[in-house]
This record gives sequence, structure tokens and C-alpha cells, in this order.
Amino acid sequence: MSSYLDILSVLLLLSSFVLMANKRIKSHIRTFRFQSAMIALAAGILGVNSLIHEGRVDLLVVCAVIIAIKVIYIPRLLHRVYANVEYKVEKDFFLNIPILILGCCMIVVFTYFALSKTDGINTGTENMRVVNSVSLILIGLFFMISRKKAIGQIVGFLVIENGIFVTAMFATQGMPFIVDMGMFVDLLSAVMILGIMVFKINEKFDSIDINKLKNLRG
Amino acid sequence: MLEAFHNSGGQGTLFWVSIILYAAAAIFSLALMKNPKVCTLVSNGLCILASVFGIATSIIDIAIEKIHTDLYVFQSAIPYLSVDIRLDRLSSFFLLCLSVLVLCVSIYAIGYVSHYFGKRNVGVLHFLYAAFILSMIFVMTSGNAVFFFVAWEAMALLSYFLVIYESEKEENVNAGRLYIIMTHIGTAFLLIAFMIMFSYTRSFDMFGSSAAIPAFAKNIMFVLFLLGFGTKAGVVPVHIWLPYAHPAAPSHVSALMSGIMIKTAVYGLLRFVFSYLGVQNTWWGVAILVLGIVSALMGVAYAFVEKNIKRLLAYSSIENIGIIFIGLGIAFIAKAQGNSLVCGLALAASLFHCLNHTLFKGSLFLGAGSVHFASGTKNMEELGGLIKRMPVTAVLFLCGALSISAIVPFNGFISEWLTYQSLFANILPGHALINILTILSVAVLAMAGALAAASFIKLFGISFLGLPRSERASNAVEVPGVMNVGMGILVTLCLAVGLFPMAVLQMLDRVLTGFAGISILPQLKNGWLTAFSPLSISGNAVSPAVIAGVFAGVILAALVLIRIIGGKRRERKVGTWDCGFESLNARTQYSATGFSKPVKIALKILFRPSRVVKTEGDLVYHPESIQYLVGIEPIFERYLYDPISKLARSISHKIKYSVQTGSIHAYLIYILLTVLILMFYNRIA
Repeated sequence: MSSYLDILSVLLLLSSFVLMANKRIKSHIRTFRFQSAMIALAAGILGVNSLIHEGRVDLLVVCAVIIAIKVIYIPRLLHRVYANVEYKVEKDFFLNIPILILGCCMIVVFTYFALSKTDGINTGTENMRVVNSVSLILIGLFFMISRKKAIGQIVGFLVIENGIFVTAMFATQGMPFIVDMGMFVDLLSAVMILGIMVFKINEKFDSIDINKLKNLRG
Repeated sequence: MLEAFHNSGGQGTLFWVSIILYAAAAIFSLALMKNPKVCTLVSNGLCILASVFGIATSIIDIAIEKIHTDLYVFQSAIPYLSVDIRLDRLSSFFLLCLSVLVLCVSIYAIGYVSHYFGKRNVGVLHFLYAAFILSMIFVMTSGNAVFFFVAWEAMALLSYFLVIYESEKEENVNAGRLYIIMTHIGTAFLLIAFMIMFSYTRSFDMFGSSAAIPAFAKNIMFVLFLLGFGTKAGVVPVHIWLPYAHPAAPSHVSALMSGIMIKTAVYGLLRFVFSYLGVQNTWWGVAILVLGIVSALMGVAYAFVEKNIKRLLAYSSIENIGIIFIGLGIAFIAKAQGNSLVCGLALAASLFHCLNHTLFKGSLFLGAGSVHFASGTKNMEELGGLIKRMPVTAVLFLCGALSISAIVPFNGFISEWLTYQSLFANILPGHALINILTILSVAVLAMAGALAAASFIKLFGISFLGLPRSERASNAVEVPGVMNVGMGILVTLCLAVGLFPMAVLQMLDRVLTGFAGISILPQLKNGWLTAFSPLSISGNAVSPAVIAGVFAGVILAALVLIRIIGGKRRERKVGTWDCGFESLNARTQYSATGFSKPVKIALKILFRPSRVVKTEGDLVYHPESIQYLVGIEPIFERYLYDPISKLARSISHKIKYSVQTGSIHAYLIYILLTVLILMFYNRIA
């Protein structure tokens, strides 16, 4: 089981690199869907494991909810939002892709450096998984910084959330059920609000380039 | 509350009665807001009653043997937040000053407030007034630093609302804003000092031991206390709020603010530095002394060129706080050098001056209020000739002016004389630098005294003598009797204290024994009417009562002699010789600006006077009009405060445009960098 989780953890990290390299918004959403599916798989593996050993079913429920929300509902919502705002081909990022990928690599190295001495997670392979998932959080934040269009920010936010969820799951072998559910409700409402805000931004500024929000400053 | 009564002696009960009466005054003034006349009577009546109880409390507390009295201790469930009210002789002394002033000011207010009827909400004024007094009482009686701080802040806020009471005037609102900014800066210093105090001793007890605080932290705390309390006291250079805020408040409140509120800073310095920290280095005293010298000189110099009566009085408060600080500085120096006699003498001098300043500055502010009440203006250039129209006020004002100018037999003389004596006594062989400083301060004090006398000659001469300079001044009538009663009591006290200084000195001796463990009375030799210098070498002595008696005798004898030699006088009334011009009018009089001109020129380096002459019309020898403008440069505002405020403004401007850019990406970068730095810190720590 452990080796499956290791592979999934690396795949998650890889998906965030892929996300960073994506140029089009449609592929952002697709990569996010792939990433969420990986998380659902990891939750499923852990869930089966805990069902066999401890008789708990909560992680399986969590897995189902992830599939429902993150793999199916949110990507569809984002597609719809994107279809409704005007599409313009313009350069979406500040730095070019190779430099961004290099930045991601540095983030992973830094995370490894930062966590290498932390007590408690430094035993065997656990460390690698936590490093990967913490890097996922930071890369999500980096992704938000690197994109101009508001949908990029939403996807980045979702990646950060994925990273936090995976870190918690790998570090604790599943958090209390009510906490997980609470996080999903939070996430859902946040994405809905962000989706509405994108419409509003588009309406006000004739673009979803959040650089234009600078004009709001007094 | 019942426990509190049991814990304390007789004075405790009296204290609580006075607190309850003040609280009742505050509540009733809000309840009776609809009827201003009844409201004024009830509220001030309760305040008068409360202040009588306050006087009784403090006199009993100074008289009894017990040094500390715990009046009320309430430990709340929140750690360190406790209400802790204690009375010792030092607090009692300040409570006495406060209560005497409140008694007179409240009597005065019954008449004075009537000019607000129908214009402003008097109930709020009385509520703020009573609450302000309560907050000052709690500042003086609190036993731990947290409660002290709460009371101190309440005092600052309530006095701010009193300053902006006449809020329809733009200048009052500006004065209030300056006041609240300055007082909060001062409070910030105090807060830091209290935090340092807690971090070493794990206690906020003001009466506890400071042994756990290391020497360097004590030095820092001293500087913080000096800045914090100095801002409230209005010492130069953190005085700039005082000349604006004190004149802006209603006059009876100005009397309280100038008379007692700025003294709470003196109380704080004595309580926290002298008593709690203990005087450690000589330079502490030197710092206080230098601030005192500068304040005394600058304050009176600005007072002399001022045209607004109340602002002149406010500047004069700066001068007097300077004199008090000179006494304090000498006390601190002497204490650090282990010279307890000089220390006691200097403390007595500065506490005596606190009391005196309360009495005469209170009466003068009330007098200024009367002038404003009768004429509607505070500008001296519009006054004149008031002695004919308001004779009682004029006589009382003259007595107040004589007191503040340190003229025998009034009280100002005694405390300044004691300050001089302690300065002379501080000149000891072997301390060259301190001796030079002491001699310099004697010179400065002498100059300040002369300028103060000149300022009050100007104030009285321009406003009360001569011909009225405006319609308003010529229409002035005597104020209601109750106002003169309030002022009269204060002036009588000035005279009584001046004639019988030993009575006050005996009280001060008990205060000093309780608070500093020094008794100066045995050194003051004997005598009831005579204040002796405690210097055994010179045996200097002064007796205001004898001087007054001799003075009166000489005048009487001269009058009798004139009558005997000259025979019966014939009185004739004719107009003043006018050199053949048209009749003399108010425009031919000496003006306030003209009176202060010579000093303005002599102290050019300080005032930097400017003069602009604008001539209109083509003919050089026969212009249509000539405009002559004189001004002085406000050096502290221009060279200290303007650069600071400009710097703050440009920094906030830069932050607005470079840090708070409005770009979401920039904000996200801040978050990322913060996270990365924290992770890095966690790794290496």
C-alpha cells in the first residue's frame, strides 16, 4: 500500500508541474481534475486500508465526496464560468514557462531543506510524501502569482487546498471526519463566490485580468 | 463595597461618600439634561459636597499615623486586571489640591455655565466634568499600574471631550486633535514602561519592590516615564498641545486642567520614579532639572508675547510646571548623592509650588473666564478699562496675578523662595558640573520670575486699566456674585497660605515623612509666621506676615504724614492733557503687542520676529493706508514637529504607492515570501 501512496504523492507533485506548464485555461482545469482524481485515489487506498484494519468507512466517504465535488462538480463549474466570460488570447503569465518550472524546482528543494530536520515526520518515506504535498501548497501559491487571469487564481487556490488536504491526510492517516466535511463545504462556497466574482470583474473591467484591479485603489 | 468600608478607617468612609457623590453628580446631570438650570445647580451642588468630603478625607489621612490605607481591593477573574485603590499621604496631598480646586470651581461654574443655556447641552458638560474629576481621583489613588493606566486614559479622553465641548469652532476641534495625539504618544511611552516593569517583576504593584529590575532597564524606564509624564505636564519641547487645548475648554474646566490635571504628571513621576524605581543616577535629576529650566524660560517667554488671555495663562502654566520640575530635579540630584536634607527641602518646594499653582492658576483661569463671560472676548487688544466695570473681578484677578508673580505676602513667593533655597543648598564643593548647572538655573529662575511679573503686568494693565478698546469691553458688566465667590475663596487661600506658610509646611513635612522618609521640620527652626531656611549656616529667614505688616504700616504712616504735612487735599477732576490734539481715545493707549515689543527684540534669537509693512496708494508721504503686521516664528512647530509630521506623511505616502500597490499579485508575493521566510526560520532555529 505504501508504495502506491508514494507513487501517488509523486504524481501529485508532477501534476502541479504540469499545471504550471499549461498555457490554456482549459488545460488548467483538466490538470486540476487529474490532480483531484489522484487525491481521491489516495483517499480511497487509505480508506480501504482502514476499512480492512480498523473497520472505519469515513475515508471512503471522503473519497466519494472528493470525486463528486473536486473531480466532477468544480471543474464543470469552472468550465461554465470560463465559457461565459469573453475569451481573449493574450499572454497570461508574467514569466515564461521554463523559468516558472525552475522556480517550482527550487520550491521543492527549499521545502525539502526546510522540513529535513522537523521532528516526527522524518521517519522513512513519510518525509518524502510530506515534502511533496507541502511543495504542492507552495506551488499552488506560486501559480496564483504567476497568472494574470482570475480563473488562474481560482485554480491556484484549489491547488493550495488540495495540498493542505493531502498533507493532512498523509501526516495523520485521515483527519476527523467532521473536519474533512467542513473543509469541503468551505471550499465549495469559496469556489462559488469566486466564480460569481469573476463574472463581476469581467462585467466591470471588460476583462478578467486581475492586474486591472489596481484601479480600485484609492 | 461593604468590605471596603470595614477595611478602611474613617477617612475611607469619607472617601467613598465623596466618590458616590461625584458619581451621583455625573448621573444626575445626564438625567436632568432637559432642564439646564436645575441640572447645573444639582450637579455642581453635589460636586461641592463631594469636594468637602474629599478635603476631609485627605486632611484626616495626612493627619493620622497610618501611612498606607487600602481602601478597596478587587481581584477580577482576568489575570492582572484588578481594581486597587490605596491612599497614602502623597495621594492625599494631591487629592487635597484637587478637592480645594473643585470646591471653588464648582461654585464658580454655577454662574459661569449659564451662558451656555439654550446654546449647548449643559448636561453633557456637567457629566464630563464630574467624570473627569472622578478619573483624576482614581489616577491619584490607584495602587497598581493597570488600574492607573485605565484611569489615566479615561482622564485623557474625558478632558479631550471637554476641550472640544464648543465644537462649532474649528480651532477648538484642531486643538483637541493635537491634544489627543500628543497625549496618546505620551501614554504609549508609559505603556512601554509598564510592560518593562511587568516583564522583570511579574507584578503591576506600584507599591512593590523594583529590586528585580536591572540597572539599564531602570534607565530606560526612567526616560520613558519622563517622556510620558512630561507630555502630560507640558514640559518643553512636548508642550505644544497645552497652549491650544487649555484655552479651548470652557474656563472652569481650563482651571481644572491647568490647576490639577498637569500635576497628575508630577504625581506620576514621584510615585513611579522617585518612590518605585528609586533614584539611581545623578543624571536623572539633571535631565529633569534641564527640562524644568527650559520649560520655565520658554513658557514665560511665550506667555509674555501672547495676546489671548487664556493662552497667556496656559503658557504661564508651562513656566510653573518648569519651576516644579526644577524643584523635582534638585530633589532627584540630592537623593542620588545621598543628601537627604536638600532632597526633602526641594521636594517640599516643588510640592508647595504644586499647591500654590493650583490655587493661583485656578483663580486666574476663573478670572479669565469672568472676563470672557462679561465681554465675550479673550483678546487683550479688544479689552481695557474693565476695572471700572467689573471692580470685584478686577481686584480678585489682581491678587491672583500678584500671587503668580511671587509678590509678598501672597503664596507664590514662598514656594519660589523655597525653590531658590534648595538650589542654593545644592551648591556643594566637589560637584563642579552640577554646581554650574545649579547656578545657571538660579539665573534662569530669576529671569523667568521677572518675565512672569512683566507678563501679568501686561495682562492686568492692558485688560483692566485704561480705556475700553472695543464696544464689547465698554459694555461689560460685573459677573454674577456666585462666580466671584468661587474665585474669592481661591484668592483668600492664596493670601492665607502666603501669610501662614508654616501651616502648609507642617502638612508637607508629614507628607514627606510618609512618602520619602525625610523630615525637614526640625531644620526649619521655629516660628509660626516665619519660614526659616533650613540652612544652618546662614540662618536665612523670611516672614511674609511681618513683611506685610511692615508694608501696611509704612503706607499708613506715609498717608498720615502726608495728611499732617500737606493738610486737607482738594480733589479736582479734569481731562488728561492731550498736547493740543483731539481728545485722547483708546487708540492712543499702549497696546499688548507694543508692550511686549522690547522683550521680543531683546530675545530675537528665540522669537525670530517678522514684520511686514504694506503701503497702499501712490503718494509716499500721504498713503491711503498702511498695514503693519508683526509675527513671531513658532520654532518648535517649525523645526521639530513639522519635519516629523512631514516625514510621517511621506513615509505613509511611499507605503501607499510601493507596498500597498493594490495589485493582487504583489499581495500574493508577500504571502509567499512570508511563508518561505517562516519555513526557513523554523529550519535554522
